[in-house]
Amino acid sequence: MTTVTATPAGPRTRSGSARLTGFIGWDFLRTVRMFSATFFIVFLPLGMYLIFGATSGLSDEPLGSGNGSAFVMTSMAVYGAITAMTAVSGSAAVERQQGWGRQLGLTALSNGMYMAGKTAVGLLMSVTPVIAVFAVGALTGAEFDAGWTWPATGALVLLGSLPFALYGLASALLFRSEAAVSVASGLLVLLAFFGNLFMPLQGTMLEIARFTPVYGATTLARWPQMEGHSIPMGAEVPAPDSLAAVIMNVVVWTVVFAAICWLAARRRTAR
Amino acid sequence: MTTNLAPTLVHDRETTSPALEAKQVRRRFGTVRAVDGVDLRIERGEVVALLGPNGAGKTTLLDMALGFTAPSSGTISILGQDPARAVGLGRASAVLQIGGLLDDLTVGETLKMVSACHLNPLPIDTVLARSGLEPLAKRKVVKCSGGERQRLRFALAILTEPELLFLDEPTAGMDVRARAEFWATMHAEAERGRTIVFATHYLTEAADFADRIVLMRAGRIHAEGTVAELTASRTRTLTCTWTAAEVTATDPASAVPGDAESFARDHDAQVDSVQGAEVTFTTADSDALAAAILTTGRGHDLRIARATLDDVFLELTEQEQS
Repeated sequence: MTTVTATPAGPRTRSGSARLTGFIGWDFLRTVRMFSATFFIVFLPLGMYLIFGATSGLSDEPLGSGNGSAFVMTSMAVYGAITAMTAVSGSAAVERQQGWGRQLGLTALSNGMYMAGKTAVGLLMSVTPVIAVFAVGALTGAEFDAGWTWPATGALVLLGSLPFALYGLASALLFRSEAAVSVASGLLVLLAFFGNLFMPLQGTMLEIARFTPVYGATTLARWPQMEGHSIPMGAEVPAPDSLAAVIMNVVVWTVVFAAICWLAARRRTAR
Repeated sequence: MTTNLAPTLVHDRETTSPALEAKQVRRRFGTVRAVDGVDLRIERGEVVALLGPNGAGKTTLLDMALGFTAPSSGTISILGQDPARAVGLGRASAVLQIGGLLDDLTVGETLKMVSACHLNPLPIDTVLARSGLEPLAKRKVVKCSGGERQRLRFALAILTEPELLFLDEPTAGMDVRARAEFWATMHAEAERGRTIVFATHYLTEAADFADRIVLMRAGRIHAEGTVAELTASRTRTLTCTWTAAEVTATDPASAVPGDAESFARDHDAQVDSVQGAEVTFTTADSDALAAAILTTGRGHDLRIARATLDDVFLELTEQEQS
């Protein structure tokens, strides 16, 4: 055995932050490059805003502490952000099940750094539609009465999207395939309809909607503008939501999704 | 596959501690004892095969040697260090069994992404050249064949120029040509002074490539040594044409087995099979049995065969089932 020192180790050694940013950079590039994901996360919300929100009728219409265009803009940002969270966390879990986690386990990237990296990618992917829709909104007539409403709404969109990381994870743990994660992302369209996101609901539909997961995230994000009020569609004006009820919706669904993840993970190890 | 033979390994660390040292290592999963008391020492520069039927505990042992799983009891160290630490430093790596790749990346991108997570990796071009992946660098992983994917896993494993390399069923799913190419590359790596430990259930691979074979069964080390050592102490087979006078007088088909049986009983052997007048005995002392047959004139055309690694392995799996 000939073991001789050749090239010096040391000077090129990568720091922890260099490794983490390298991993995040590559993983973000991968996610952005997957067209099916980017389409639903960025282009679909942007397109729907342009069709339904950026009309002169809505931008002339005052609504809460803003206008109608801003209302649609927030809604579409929520849709993009929750889809991003679902897709990123779901595919992260599928990748790990397919052995990618073990492959990275052979590197100097610790488990904690992997988790931090994936969280960062999830947040970056959620921020992307918010920035895109808000930027286009600002240019096409969406207005809030106060400037602080823009960052506050953006932050609440991200906050409300967090439980959907668990939703994506649950779909991956239950069905263990990339297809299942795509289906879960697709189902968000349906949940968004029943969550009062795409069009204002009324009557019994609205009463049921209050208990669905997307309703909480949507109403929370609209809070700075609407403060819990819905858009009346018929003669009767729906009762406004209390902030406590909205927070309760988000918390309960977080717990439900976490419980499904826990049960699914336990079923896997019990096999 | 190109084998770019630089003469050295890049490490200035101590080289005296063994490549792997396991002491009374056990690992339980619920009530299953996957690894049940393994003592194993592998020296630097050795090429060792872990051979055993499915469920013998090979993969679990490798998982512990890589720091993926902690032993339930006992200790395991590689290169004189905690396994997870040595792996994190890039001193040890592995070619993992199936999976472990992302379909949407190209071969080159996979190497760059994993390389970004290492402390001190080799230049990507060097690794591409040494693993023969240069022409495939721009190909998406999803379009790669099984053999090409395995070459990529190998390329990932040598990114840090590890001193110790584990291979878990490295040629599973490869065709004959890919398998030959893979082992040619491995020979080159072993000549560079790398310690190589591979799990397999291809006997010929273990026999052809390993300096030493460790036979595992039911979570324990059943036997270890070179092929010659493993087969030396085993029973041999002796085949001959049975020509006893009293047998040829009557109907041979019915008389041969009984006569051979009683002869075997008297001479410390067993009858393995009888086909017409062809009798095959198994015995620990083939010389004595041959002498007895020749002096009594019971048979002629004697053929003696030493046990092959196949026989040793078959014996192992039969014990497993019984």
